[in-house]
Amino acid sequence: MAWYSRIWNVVRGERVHRDIDRELRFHVRERTDEFRAAGMSAEEAGRQARIQLGNPVVQMERTRDMDVAAWLDATFRNVRLALRSLAKTPGFTATVVLTLALGIGANSAVFSAIDAVLLRPLPFPDSDQLMLLEQKRPKVSQTFVAPVRLMDWGRLNSTFQGISGYYTEDASEISGELPEKVKRAFVAPRFLEVLGVPPALGRGFRPEEEHFGGSNAVLISDRFWRRRFQADPGVLEKRLRFGPGSFAITGVMPASFRFPDRDVDLWFTSPMDGPFGQARQLTWFNVIGRLKPGATLAQARENMSAVQTDLGRQFPQTDAELTVDIQPLKEVTVGGVRESLWVVFGSVSLLLLIACTNIAALLLARATQRQQEISVRYSLGASRASVVAQLLTETFVLALSGAVLGLLVAAGTSGVFRTLAKSLPRLEEIGLDWRIVLYTLVSAIAVTLWCGLIPSIQATRRSLTSSLAHGGRALVSSRNPLQWLLVGVQVALAVTLLSGAGLLLRSFRELGRVSPGFEPSHVLTLHISTNWAEAGPEMRPRRDRIIEALSAVPGVESAATSMAPPGVPFGFQAELKVAEGRAETDPKILTDSRFVTSGYFATMQIPLLTGEPCRDAGPPQVLVNRSFANTYFPGAEAVGRHLVPPFPAARPAEIRGIVGDAREQGLNKTPAPMVYFCGADAQPGTFFLIRTQGDPAAMTETVRRKIREIEPSRAVFDIMPLEEHLSDAFAENRMRTVLLSFFAITAVSLACVGLYGTLSYLVNVRRREVGLRLALGALRGQIVRQFLSQGLAVAMLAALAGLGLSLVFTRLLAGMLYGVSPTDPLTLTAVILLTLAVATVASLIPAIRAALVEPMQVLRDE
Amino acid sequence: MHGYAITTHIQQVSADLLRVEEGSLYPALHRMEQDGWVRAEWGVSEKNREARFYSLTAKGRKQLAQEQETWARLTEGVERVMRYV
Repeated sequence: MAWYSRIWNVVRGERVHRDIDRELRFHVRERTDEFRAAGMSAEEAGRQARIQLGNPVVQMERTRDMDVAAWLDATFRNVRLALRSLAKTPGFTATVVLTLALGIGANSAVFSAIDAVLLRPLPFPDSDQLMLLEQKRPKVSQTFVAPVRLMDWGRLNSTFQGISGYYTEDASEISGELPEKVKRAFVAPRFLEVLGVPPALGRGFRPEEEHFGGSNAVLISDRFWRRRFQADPGVLEKRLRFGPGSFAITGVMPASFRFPDRDVDLWFTSPMDGPFGQARQLTWFNVIGRLKPGATLAQARENMSAVQTDLGRQFPQTDAELTVDIQPLKEVTVGGVRESLWVVFGSVSLLLLIACTNIAALLLARATQRQQEISVRYSLGASRASVVAQLLTETFVLALSGAVLGLLVAAGTSGVFRTLAKSLPRLEEIGLDWRIVLYTLVSAIAVTLWCGLIPSIQATRRSLTSSLAHGGRALVSSRNPLQWLLVGVQVALAVTLLSGAGLLLRSFRELGRVSPGFEPSHVLTLHISTNWAEAGPEMRPRRDRIIEALSAVPGVESAATSMAPPGVPFGFQAELKVAEGRAETDPKILTDSRFVTSGYFATMQIPLLTGEPCRDAGPPQVLVNRSFANTYFPGAEAVGRHLVPPFPAARPAEIRGIVGDAREQGLNKTPAPMVYFCGADAQPGTFFLIRTQGDPAAMTETVRRKIREIEPSRAVFDIMPLEEHLSDAFAENRMRTVLLSFFAITAVSLACVGLYGTLSYLVNVRRREVGLRLALGALRGQIVRQFLSQGLAVAMLAALAGLGLSLVFTRLLAGMLYGVSPTDPLTLTAVILLTLAVATVASLIPAIRAALVEPMQVLRDE
Repeated sequence: MHGYAITTHIQQVSADLLRVEEGSLYPALHRMEQDGWVRAEWGVSEKNREARFYSLTAKGRKQLAQEQETWARLTEGVERVMRYV
């Protein structure tokens, strides 16, 4: 085990030294004895013996070299030297370490998000086998599946191990003192089997519990267990009450199980053989499936398509037009944010690049100042490689310190993600683990090479005589192309980031200026817990009673309900037919719909343009917006016609009037044709909208109490002003904009500091020359102009290069911009002007300092 | 044998024809120890001084046999060439 002991001996340095010393001393003593025996005096014998052995230091070193791993020894020595040398310049060391800590830390933080959300597989065993299945009907955008069909698919397919499904609703649990709002998921049989996660405590559902009429069982989440039962292990067989039914808790799911989403507290079985689940056209399930090992997505698609075609033949009325769409579950979960995350990652990497370039310039300047030391080293016999190794070790020590601090920064900023991007999927999985630590270490090494290689190689160019003779100054050429190149790179990259940030900021502002078509302020939204079982005609009068009572509360102007708050995208497109008939050439009516009560338009202040307001009771009525009227009934009268929705047994609804266009589907989309169905059913998830006279948040308690008076057994939850909903819808947009702006400002600061630093250094080096010129009659203004133009020339060239880069970079942002094009000339011009202004300021100070040089003093220093 | 004894031994046995270069003795011994050809232990010499004693290992013996063979081939080769000079 020679190599092992060689490495070990490096650490045991002192011990090895002592042992060799003892051995050599013994040798000398024996030789002395021999010489004394031959007749020499004691001291003469000793001297001769030592001479014969040779230079003790050399002997020690050569013997030791055999015992230690040379490379490790050299590394330790270099690290010690680096630490000493860095400690002598605390300002420089602190600046570099802090800059790297911020740069590497930010980079690792974003990477941790990307790793957790995009790269890691979903937290289920063999999660790449999990798929989401949707049924698609040509004219309807809703994709839920009927329970009967789910069972058919499960029975008839050949590529899935198992197919199951779920749907969620909010409910009110009443076994406590106050009704508590909970979110519950109803799951089809074999749900836990398909996902592959067993309960942490207790058991899953038994087959008899999955049938209609079987005993009522429920699984609870870890969060609910801790909140409600304080993690009491005796929670099994306790009962929860919902409405008239009581349910026994059979198990607790592990903390990491957050399916279908992180708010679900309870899982109930949804029996497939109940009387209400047999109709093929009533759809409500989200279907998931696990592929058999070895089955591919393409095979599954083919097979399911064949299965559905067969079902279509068997049940032509309900199934003939359906197709099955299969997507990997992970793709569905994270696909939407992929672009945003990569944009943020690209930006933060650019920032790190700029920081590194800055540091490289600093290192270059520092290395040039040590020319004398390096020349002495060469003259003592060091190889170029060993000197380069020593300089690189210094850089590595800086990079490693920065990386370790950066990890702390990254740990702290995961909180930032939680606030900035609340809607990010898999948010709870973001955290630091060994992969991020490894990534940080690799970044440190990459940073070392990027920052340190060129300065080290540059500084170790051999020209011994000149540097030793001239005391280190003549080696610095006045043109310094490498340093200017580094500054130029920084400015170019900063311009790129600035352009991106500028475009996003303008886009954000344009969104803010858009007129929504409705009045979002002074509106309070809330939910009242109901469940699917009672979502029928009986709920309507109760809902109407609530609205009436709310409207009567002092401080409330009007109240209404809607399936979705205005301004937040809600997908329900359907093809409508006109009962009076349309010409063959007229386009099909495929529009968005909203399900509201009659008070909606007054509450949201959407003006009624023609016709009359609709009534909630009586025959079905709709209001359409102006865009709809113009698109589908141009020039003709829309009021009075009847629309027929594509549901079986749907009654024709009369168009009572036309209202103004509102940006219901999001403020960044132009208003599309919209149909408002009045007097809709009160389904779970309905939003109650209340217009208040004063601050909506102040009315929260009053409203809650009022509703408790009327419906004491229902929980009121998610009470928040409408503007908060709208702001949440922008959360992703805002995260991007804020982060990118922050990066851009940092980048510009770094570039500014880099420019200032390089020019300062240059001025310092050329002090003699400037003094001479001033003494010979040059004007101070000329000196200023000379240095200023040097700085500006570099900045201008770099800005143009950065412009070219931006045109490529901003193209990537094209999909995220609103109201401004990726090559918007106004923004880009502003960016260039800003950069030049900053460059002027950065160059002016050193230039003026140069002009203030006292020629007599400089010449005297000669 | 300790390092000094090796020096005197070689000198004596070769009848003073070979003398060990003392500058490279200990580096060589330590390298052989790292390679596993000799084993070293601290012990006490005849004069009651602390010394490091080296002995051959099995691996060392094998290496010695190899070196002997190489040496024999070398000398034979040189001898043959010399016959023709």
